[in-house]
Amino acid sequence: MKEKRTSRYLKDKDGYFSEEQIDRTKKRSREMEEASRTRLTSQKVRAKTLTYFDEIMKYDGARSQELSDFQGKGGKIIGTMCVMVPLELINASGAKNVRLCSGYYEPVHPANELLGDAGLCPMVKSTLGSKMVNANPITNNINMVVGPATCDGKMKLAEILEDWVPVVMMNIPRVKIGETSSDIWVKEIEYLSRKLEEVTGKRISKRALVNEIKKWNRGHELWSKMLDIRRSKRPTISGQDAMLVVQASQMDDIERWNKKTSQLISELQDMQKKGMIAGEDGAARILLAGSPMMYPNFKIPAIVEESGGTIVHDELCSGFRLMSDPVMLDGITRKGIMRGLAERYFFPCTCPCFSPNDERIRRIKESIEAFGIEGVVFHTLRGCHLSNIEATKIELELRDIGIPMVKLESEYDEGDIEQVRTRVEAFIEMIKARRENEGI
Amino acid sequence: MMEMFKGRNIRPWRFLVQIGAVLFIIGQSYGLPPFGTYPIFRRIFLPNASCRYINDAPTSCYYYQVQDGFTTGFATNYVDVAIMLAVVVLLIILLGRFWCSWLCPFGLVQEGFEKLRELLGIPRYRLKWKQRILLRRVKYTIIFLTVLISIPIGISALGLTSCQSTFALPFCQVCPAKGFFLITQQIFGAEPWSNKLPLIAIASLVVFSVSAFFLPMAFCRICPMGGLMALFGRTSLPLLKKDPDKCTKCRICARVCPLDHDRVYEDMEKDDVGGEDCTLCGKCVEYCPEEGCLSINYGPFTLTSSKRPRTRNTFLGRFRKGGGDT
Repeated sequence: MKEKRTSRYLKDKDGYFSEEQIDRTKKRSREMEEASRTRLTSQKVRAKTLTYFDEIMKYDGARSQELSDFQGKGGKIIGTMCVMVPLELINASGAKNVRLCSGYYEPVHPANELLGDAGLCPMVKSTLGSKMVNANPITNNINMVVGPATCDGKMKLAEILEDWVPVVMMNIPRVKIGETSSDIWVKEIEYLSRKLEEVTGKRISKRALVNEIKKWNRGHELWSKMLDIRRSKRPTISGQDAMLVVQASQMDDIERWNKKTSQLISELQDMQKKGMIAGEDGAARILLAGSPMMYPNFKIPAIVEESGGTIVHDELCSGFRLMSDPVMLDGITRKGIMRGLAERYFFPCTCPCFSPNDERIRRIKESIEAFGIEGVVFHTLRGCHLSNIEATKIELELRDIGIPMVKLESEYDEGDIEQVRTRVEAFIEMIKARRENEGI
Repeated sequence: MMEMFKGRNIRPWRFLVQIGAVLFIIGQSYGLPPFGTYPIFRRIFLPNASCRYINDAPTSCYYYQVQDGFTTGFATNYVDVAIMLAVVVLLIILLGRFWCSWLCPFGLVQEGFEKLRELLGIPRYRLKWKQRILLRRVKYTIIFLTVLISIPIGISALGLTSCQSTFALPFCQVCPAKGFFLITQQIFGAEPWSNKLPLIAIASLVVFSVSAFFLPMAFCRICPMGGLMALFGRTSLPLLKKDPDKCTKCRICARVCPLDHDRVYEDMEKDDVGGEDCTLCGKCVEYCPEEGCLSINYGPFTLTSSKRPRTRNTFLGRFRKGGGDT
């Protein structure tokens, strides 16, 4: 492991931020998380099992305690940054995985102090800020960060994080050309596995890898059952809750997550039999697309669902895409497993950092048909150029098939909340009016 | 162990059909009951590698007959060859490349090699794109050369008939199936032991064994019978189809394909994704995780289609870690 180095960026790093500022960041983060949780728990129809997932994602909850206990016993915790990091590999090396991408608003300020207000994506700033002032107990004590070089923000974030924690950067090919890119990515995955073995001091065995893949495949299977529930005419889970559940998989032990999710699914199915429905009757069916929304930054989904829409599907790397594809293995050679893993995390991924990215449009169109979507809410974080550019392309394509789309640009603060609400309410009203017109 | 990673299970059915085909085509010379010794089968020649060098085989690959017909057919104006080829084409249109991966005994042999490699935990060799293109051309070159060599030998005016003993059946001389079946027959005692096997047959058998071990379906890539079938790949009734809307471009199909047929992955416009390399083994359909994305069709009917992988609640599965409902 590397020695602790002095920061190149902030002179006298340990004493740079005053105690007061650190405390304020922590306090505001806690308040924000509590507010988000109250918003979730105050939904009228909500399955009881979801409290477990609340607990996992809670600021300073039982999970952060569990992780620090695990680390105290010599376990390693690996922070991941994008959906392209094979979590099976991390778990097979005996380490636990934690998604670093932060949804807390307050840590943006310490990062601003370092970078200046660089017009950068707030998620990147928040992630950096959380690390700078140790604001988030779950992601505080990580032993290593795995950062694929995806979008510009994430790429440079990983580079800067080097100062606080060892980082493994992975070179992800941004153009998917069959075998060439696959070969590069497989080699990067092998490099990651070597690095993981170095950190944990444990060899990643084939058997452990296959076992972990099975667990995550089980997770995929459960998630697709969840999609079936959301696809139905009367979904019993709201879009925010579904996003919470799938994001919890990134923080939780996958085996326990599987157990709880299958409980949740049977509860949701029971609720469906009783005729319950999440959100209002006759709500507009909305697809959420665009930049990621990490808990507790559930501003936009909350607004959508409060204004008479139900998010029945999403196309976010903080939602549906986390669990969307299983790893299929046709042989159990080590090389074959690595290739299977690598390709599962690379080819089906429709992150806008890939180009050309026609798959994304096709998949949005396909889910519009399958889920009976009536309108698309496209959300971009400020400074997310990739999503911004794709939004135009997607809007044009959606216009051809007659699906309305609203594009919302947001920052990490509550300042624009009323403005967004007005636009979303108008959008949903328009959808409902359209429905009536077509009915006549 | 592997069922967790499959949606649909086609392999066992295919294995049963393959065993049946082997018993039918070559069984009797290995001391099994003669399933296929009715006279009618002696008139029909199959478009797959069911070898002529198997004793008492009811039928054989048409390629032997084509070469034979070309060398001797000048006298009969090639009528016999034409009729036989017409029958073969009919068979190809009826069953397409099911002849390859479901009915070919030599295909089963190669899958045996592949299974052995898998058990030893050795990774498969992946051809480079250039090599794949090269092998595709080799396939057609073999057909061309065979005809080129066979026809002049048969034309007596050219005075090459004396070469017949050496150059007749040019492809069979280098075909590894000949060596394989001759040797196994001798091992199983269907034929008296002799050490008169031509050196070239042994050499090609060795090359074949090594390449089939590391490269799945190595011979299928240059098989001239497959070459003829590839020409009818899209007109025959069985088809591999894909619903591009459901495809997530996860590339599992391209990765598991034993023949590196990448049109299944690449093509997003046409729904018919079979082609000259595809042998309809159904492996991509087995592993495709999207409901109903890939399917094997026979004319308008869907025989089987891909399915989402599900944990099966088997009795044993309850004791396994990671699977099963808890």
